Amino acid sequence: MNDPSLFQRSGRRLDVEGVWKAYGSQPFVVRDVTFVLEPGEFLTLLGPSGSGKTTILMLIAGFETLSRGKIRVDGRDIVGQPPERRNFGIVFQGYALFPHMSVLDNVAFPLRMKGVGARERARQAGEILEKVGLNGLGSRRPHELSGGQQQRVALARALVFEPDALLLDEPLGALDRKLREQLQIEIKEIQRRVGVSVLLVTHDQDEAMMMSDRIAVMADGKIMQIGSPADVYLHPATPFVAGFLGETNLMPGICCGLEGDRVVIRFRNGELGRAGIPRFGGRPVPGDAVLASIRPERIRILKPDQRADSLIEGKIVSCAFLGRHARYVIDVGNQLVAVSTTDWSETSALAPGTRVRLGWLSEDAQGLVDQHPRS
Amino acid sequence: MARSDVGQMSPNAGLGRILLFAACIPILVLLVLPSLIIVPMALTKGDLIQFPPIWISIHAFTDYLGDPAWVDSTVLSFKVSILAVAVGAVAGATAAIALHGRRFPGRNLVAGLIMSPIVVPAIVLALGDYLLLSPFQLIGNWIALAVVHAIHVTPYVFISVQTSLTVGLSTALLRSARSLGAGHFSVFRFVHWPAIRPGLLAGGILGFAVSFDDVVLSLFMQGPNTITLPVRMFTAIEYDLTPKIAASASVFIALAVIGLLVHSLGTARRTAA
Repeated sequence: MNDPSLFQRSGRRLDVEGVWKAYGSQPFVVRDVTFVLEPGEFLTLLGPSGSGKTTILMLIAGFETLSRGKIRVDGRDIVGQPPERRNFGIVFQGYALFPHMSVLDNVAFPLRMKGVGARERARQAGEILEKVGLNGLGSRRPHELSGGQQQRVALARALVFEPDALLLDEPLGALDRKLREQLQIEIKEIQRRVGVSVLLVTHDQDEAMMMSDRIAVMADGKIMQIGSPADVYLHPATPFVAGFLGETNLMPGICCGLEGDRVVIRFRNGELGRAGIPRFGGRPVPGDAVLASIRPERIRILKPDQRADSLIEGKIVSCAFLGRHARYVIDVGNQLVAVSTTDWSETSALAPGTRVRLGWLSEDAQGLVDQHPRS
Repeated sequence: MARSDVGQMSPNAGLGRILLFAACIPILVLLVLPSLIIVPMALTKGDLIQFPPIWISIHAFTDYLGDPAWVDSTVLSFKVSILAVAVGAVAGATAAIALHGRRFPGRNLVAGLIMSPIVVPAIVLALGDYLLLSPFQLIGNWIALAVVHAIHVTPYVFISVQTSLTVGLSTALLRSARSLGAGHFSVFRFVHWPAIRPGLLAGGILGFAVSFDDVVLSLFMQGPNTITLPVRMFTAIEYDLTPKIAASASVFIALAVIGLLVHSLGTARRTAA
């Protein structure tokens, strides 16, 4: 997945190495962040607001000065360069199109700044507008376009000068859900066609899963885990990653020992369960406080004759039918557990108060070291 | 929604509207009347300014335009105000751009200093300017007078440019221009300039009006050859009550109307664009 030869060789390699950032004497908002954006790769910084992801983007673009660390493009240090001398195409949250210029002039602007002649820049701008599906709209003003169209103009403007990388700062945040999904596919498609490397900042995990080659999950200014969408979702390194990417149940317990590739966990209610040893992140040792992370779709409500290698008993609190699946909330004694199932019908629905046995396959759960155990 | 509200207007609302008109019309009349009364007074046949006028002659206008002293004062007033607006526009606009989006200790103090000519009584400023400039023999110098006026124009331009920057300029816009390769000059030309233009126009017109009809500063700064039109009118009221006063006052009204027209045309064009 990280082999550069898999990506079309266009755009440049961006190295972010040991970057720290603090404003004045305040605490660090970016802490020791290191990653590589390979040529042609689509990498997403995913995190809640305040996790430092936009700050990293602004450090790379040159709008903020870093406190420590290195940023390099193809091995060349760019830290001292002002933003206008760096070569990144940026799409901002509100698109930031020039309101008094036509669409064509907006897109041609970076070429004009580079001293390209009027005819040549009109040709190139027209070409890229065609690529993003906006031919014929060149003479309009930005405010005459829909949100999705403005978004595409911003994208065209950031691509037209063949930047070293495309930096996208929550580019779809202002759009409604349907349009957002459509544009996610379109941006991905345009990226594949142009072959540019992309660094996306977002708090939307679906967007990250949909578009990225790799995702870096951030919290508190640090990268918690970086890997392919499947790695990050199926093999979270920390309880935070497990909870931030999709929904998960985190069941606290104590590690009693390791059995092959399984962690044996004694839960708070005294029952024993099993979970996989996490592929990334810390390996628990006996006596550690652990959290078993189990996705709601991986827990099953067992029928009387069914067995599983990990079991827990509980009582149904509520049931909601959500169309694609149904969602039960179950009280297992000391906490609530969410279970989602597609095996649901109006007649088989279990009523609140029903006692049930829950089971899961130990490889579907991860025994993650609990960094902040509550006693 | 709004339409049905009007349709179902209660009798009370109708009464409210009548009361509103009853209160507003006298206020409007009071605001406009002094300006309107002056034009007929300029059309008097007599040799004194008086109300009601003796109908009807344009001799006040021909006298005004035939008197070199009055014409010189009019030309001087234009020269002073145009230079004052030019200087004040540059000072006010650059100050507004420099302070826009910046946070630093003493920022409010700087903004307050720029605004102070509006707050400090004109007579105090005029006296200060007089005492400051007289040792340098600058009293009676029209350029010095224009600079003193410019200090008064600056806050009007500053405040209206500040408003247009808040409306038309975002950090993202500045940053996107720079990320697309724009240096400082290009950022000013393609981002700041379009954003400040409406504020510059409004502030310039307002500043021109303030400068053109200033009496206090110009009175202190006057010399034998630097008597602005308002100062000449003021002295004429005291000594000879000539109808030329009314005729020249019409120039002010005409300027005010032109100013308003220019501004509304400017706004209309922007909305259309």
